[in-house]
Amino acid sequence: MATLAVEVVYRGIFQKTLARNIVRHIVFAARKDGKIGTAFGRYGDSPERNGIPAKQFAIVADTPLELEESMAVYEASSVDVTINVDDTMCKGIESWAWYGLQPINELTKPGGTLIVTSRQDAASLIEDIHQKDTPYNLAIIPSTVSFSGLWVYKDDHTDMRALGALCKVCPELVSLEAMLKSIKEQTDSDAKVSSVQRAHDRTTSRPVEPGEGNSETPFSFDLPGWKTMEEGLVIRGLPAGTGFRGGEEGYTPGRSEVFKKWSTRSMRPVINFDTCIKCTLCWLQCPDTCFDVTSDGLYDANMESCCGCGVCEAVCPVPDCVTMVSETEFTGNDSQWDAWTADKDGYNKWMTVLVEKQKDETRTHGFHHVGAYADDISAMEDA
Amino acid sequence: MATAEAALFQESTEELISGSEAIGIACALADVDVITAYPIRPYDTVMQYVSRLKADGAFDLDFIVAESEHSQFEIVKHASAVGARTFTGSSGVGWFYAFEAITVTAGLRMPVVAMVGNRALDDPGAFGVEHNDALAVRDLGWHLYWVATAQEALDMALMAWKVAEDPRVLLPFALSCDGSFLTHSQAIVQVPAQDLVKKFLPDYQRGKLQLHPDNPITVAPQVNEDWLMEIRKQTDEAMRRTSGVILEAHEEFREIFGRGDPSPFIEEYMCDDAEIILVGMGTLAMPTRVAVRRMREAGKKVGFLRIKFFRPFATEEIQKVLGKAKGVAVIDRDYSYGSPSFGGVLFHELRSTLYPLDERPKMLNFIAGLGGREVMVRDIDQIVETTQKAVDTGKIEQETTWVAVRE
Amino acid sequence: MTTVQDLPAIKGVKNIPLEELYSSGHRTCQGCESALVMRLMIKAAGPRTIVLGSTGCMYVANTTYYSTPWVVPWMHTQLGSSGSAATGTAAGLSAMMRKGKMHKEPINVIAFCGDGGGMDMGLSAISAALQHDEYNLLILCYDNESYANTDIQASGGTPWGANTTFSPPGKEIRIMNNRWKKNMAPMLAVGHPNVRYVATACGSYGLDFNNKVRRALTIGGPTFIHSIDPCPKGWDYDPKYSHELGMLSIETGIWVQYEIIDGELTLNGPSRSIAKGIRKRKPVEDYLMRQGRFAHFTPEDIKYFQGKVDETWEKWWLPGVIPISASKEE
Repeated sequence: MATLAVEVVYRGIFQKTLARNIVRHIVFAARKDGKIGTAFGRYGDSPERNGIPAKQFAIVADTPLELEESMAVYEASSVDVTINVDDTMCKGIESWAWYGLQPINELTKPGGTLIVTSRQDAASLIEDIHQKDTPYNLAIIPSTVSFSGLWVYKDDHTDMRALGALCKVCPELVSLEAMLKSIKEQTDSDAKVSSVQRAHDRTTSRPVEPGEGNSETPFSFDLPGWKTMEEGLVIRGLPAGTGFRGGEEGYTPGRSEVFKKWSTRSMRPVINFDTCIKCTLCWLQCPDTCFDVTSDGLYDANMESCCGCGVCEAVCPVPDCVTMVSETEFTGNDSQWDAWTADKDGYNKWMTVLVEKQKDETRTHGFHHVGAYADDISAMEDA
Repeated sequence: MATAEAALFQESTEELISGSEAIGIACALADVDVITAYPIRPYDTVMQYVSRLKADGAFDLDFIVAESEHSQFEIVKHASAVGARTFTGSSGVGWFYAFEAITVTAGLRMPVVAMVGNRALDDPGAFGVEHNDALAVRDLGWHLYWVATAQEALDMALMAWKVAEDPRVLLPFALSCDGSFLTHSQAIVQVPAQDLVKKFLPDYQRGKLQLHPDNPITVAPQVNEDWLMEIRKQTDEAMRRTSGVILEAHEEFREIFGRGDPSPFIEEYMCDDAEIILVGMGTLAMPTRVAVRRMREAGKKVGFLRIKFFRPFATEEIQKVLGKAKGVAVIDRDYSYGSPSFGGVLFHELRSTLYPLDERPKMLNFIAGLGGREVMVRDIDQIVETTQKAVDTGKIEQETTWVAVRE
Repeated sequence: MTTVQDLPAIKGVKNIPLEELYSSGHRTCQGCESALVMRLMIKAAGPRTIVLGSTGCMYVANTTYYSTPWVVPWMHTQLGSSGSAATGTAAGLSAMMRKGKMHKEPINVIAFCGDGGGMDMGLSAISAALQHDEYNLLILCYDNESYANTDIQASGGTPWGANTTFSPPGKEIRIMNNRWKKNMAPMLAVGHPNVRYVATACGSYGLDFNNKVRRALTIGGPTFIHSIDPCPKGWDYDPKYSHELGMLSIETGIWVQYEIIDGELTLNGPSRSIAKGIRKRKPVEDYLMRQGRFAHFTPEDIKYFQGKVDETWEKWWLPGVIPISASKEE
């Protein structure tokens, strides 16, 4: 072999340290196998926005010359292993700095492996992942997605599990022995060493055939050239909004045609329209202008604009009227208000199931208060 | 004297004024909307004059005394974005203090017109002329013009708005005026009547790029590597287009005002059959012309080429003139420490301009007149002598010479 | 001076205009309070407004070339130039309208800056803008307490002791940022006696925020609003708490909500009831311990922080400027 590349796809800021740990440990471990490597983040993704997809890479080669060969192209155009540390990104990613939706497996080489941290099974993940015309493998690390913030790292061994899985699916990149040795040396933690070992032993992968998976064509965007771009650094403003869907009542804001927030979300609000008291707070406090004001004065979260921050849930005075539900529960982006008006009972049943399920959801979005991570971590350790 | 000043613009008159005052009058004739001032010698004489015109009721404008040069240039940049005609200026380190704003003005394609009263850069503090201040914008998309007389200052100021605001161009325009020699000495100047100027200079129309609620645009969003090459190319194309626009405007100017050299870009003085041609910019022209005349009387085939537009640089015109000469002596009122041959900026531009020619003249560089030191006729004689020697022997002993510097 | 628009105070949340002039298309962080501030600001100002934005999150993350969240005309200005941008825009409009080169109408001019661009680099240009009584303009400082766009570096608005990439708590030195937060609004109010409106605000109080923007735009002349914007990225908390942390900053008395109209000081919201003794200030610990940027604080640090805040309330009315006394409020 000459050179092997790994990309870690992660949620900006929330998983920055996690991703950094993974790519750095890959390079350290590769040294133990007598190889040489480099680790770096995608410059275009910085400054990172929290929750917005970003990438870091690790490239490992037998010799410095081979490494230089691969570094001739700064951003890898294909990788042997893609590590996705948030399964909601299986629906595809759009960095804050590029245009168009990139399938999570876009860079994964034929015969390469996509490793995902998830509590879902392969079937439901493949439902989200865009199909490829070449075969690849899917490996799942069965654990809760790990989010923390910029300053306090939630050291729940998710990085170790990813590394263990990597050694299993791609031993030619780095051997388990080298990894265990390196981790012990770097962290001096037997607990982490055994986390790597456990993940390695547990990891299984399954082949994904060409044509298997999500068949939708991802949103793409052709960049115009200097002859068609407006001069003077000018672009046209957003269109003004209208009454709800062009009608007399309510309101639908003008929205960007070129950037939709599909992939910036790991959760989305589910609304109980029957208990809504129309207090306006969810609409008023939304930083993303995502609520359409319906003709009957209700607030319908439009998934084009929602980035899943959860402020609407936090400000809503009515219990369970707004509930943030993991994005993994959804396939489409259709209007909840439409579903509710079409079939109230059907909608309420569907909603109740989601809301109940959400109560055991352990996914969190970072720092709540000093000391909070400790409990989560011990809980995950046993997992 | 409000009435006297007002009368000034109703009919063409003759005035005894400095280069700065000439540009101040041009501002009033052009009906500039927003002007920003901040004190620094020697450019600010123009602002003292403008404020006086306003005080006397001869000039209706928003005159803003900014709190720094940076704000001076930012304010006119934004006034220009909403469609206002603007003017500002600075000198030496003041121009450098504004540099961030100066850079974005070109990037945003704002046709701001600025006077640079050329001044030596600190430290040490010095009021006298050097060209390094204005030259610093040469790569940024600014028009850069070196004025030689008070009359030219007034005429070129009117040309500046005409060219800069042309929809095919939309690039800022810097009028470089040598400190003291131009900014502080007075000469007889023909001042055209305002209606004549109106005929020449249309209103500034920013059109679809104007920032206004009737035209809701977003200006200058952040870009990444996917976009910047294309944006730079747009400015490059505008800079390529401007030469043609300058020629048009120049012809129109000659028609309406009955003044002006054959070429807007360069001034040829006795160059036709010249074996040695001196090249320089700005007020240097005066002593050089005198020296050339005397040498001609002594039978020496010497000429002088004055570069007026430094940006855009009139490559082909200059090749035609200098290509015929045996020796070229470039006089730089600037320096470029550690540069090729330790020469001046103008020298480097000209050497690369002549490089494509099959037959190249001998080229020598002379650094002279820094910090406002006068360039004397005898200095020019010396320069020509040195150049002649190189031509005769076919050998250049020293490419760059510092003229009249004490050892 | 061109006349101002008629923007009456909004009575009740139900009457807040539905019209959105800042919408999708921005790429800010999840739960970005500053994005909310932009939306509330322009909602209150309306469509006949020009917005100037200096470099910072609300530039880089908001307007990423080829997409924009702005329905109204918007233009970038340099980091330290919000004051100059507002002045230049207002001057251009006023000159052209006066000279008949542009249709006469009152157009709102709003320039925003972050704490870095406003409280540090842009201070002198803002001060100069506030001297131009002849122009109607509003300068809004959205203060997320760091250079948050460019990687969370300490600014003059960063709280004492906060963790930033320029003030990381280390093995030897725990408190790297020893500067107490600049007292921006009072400094501008006191230094520019002709300015008719200076206020502090917080996006968590949407209606109050709308009306402060409207009062600033309708009173005439140059005006200033300083907004405290919780930043989930730089402060390190779950984005859903942006609203709550905004309220906590006020309920703990760390941030004081007030308006200074023609030199008259009025506190509003919780700050008012705290001053009147109707409600007690919450301990600053409730606020500090909710944010990763203060996670390294020891009990002594919290005590020091509390002491500084107490001092503000016990010794001063308008922080650092006017002596405090309960009667002052009556």
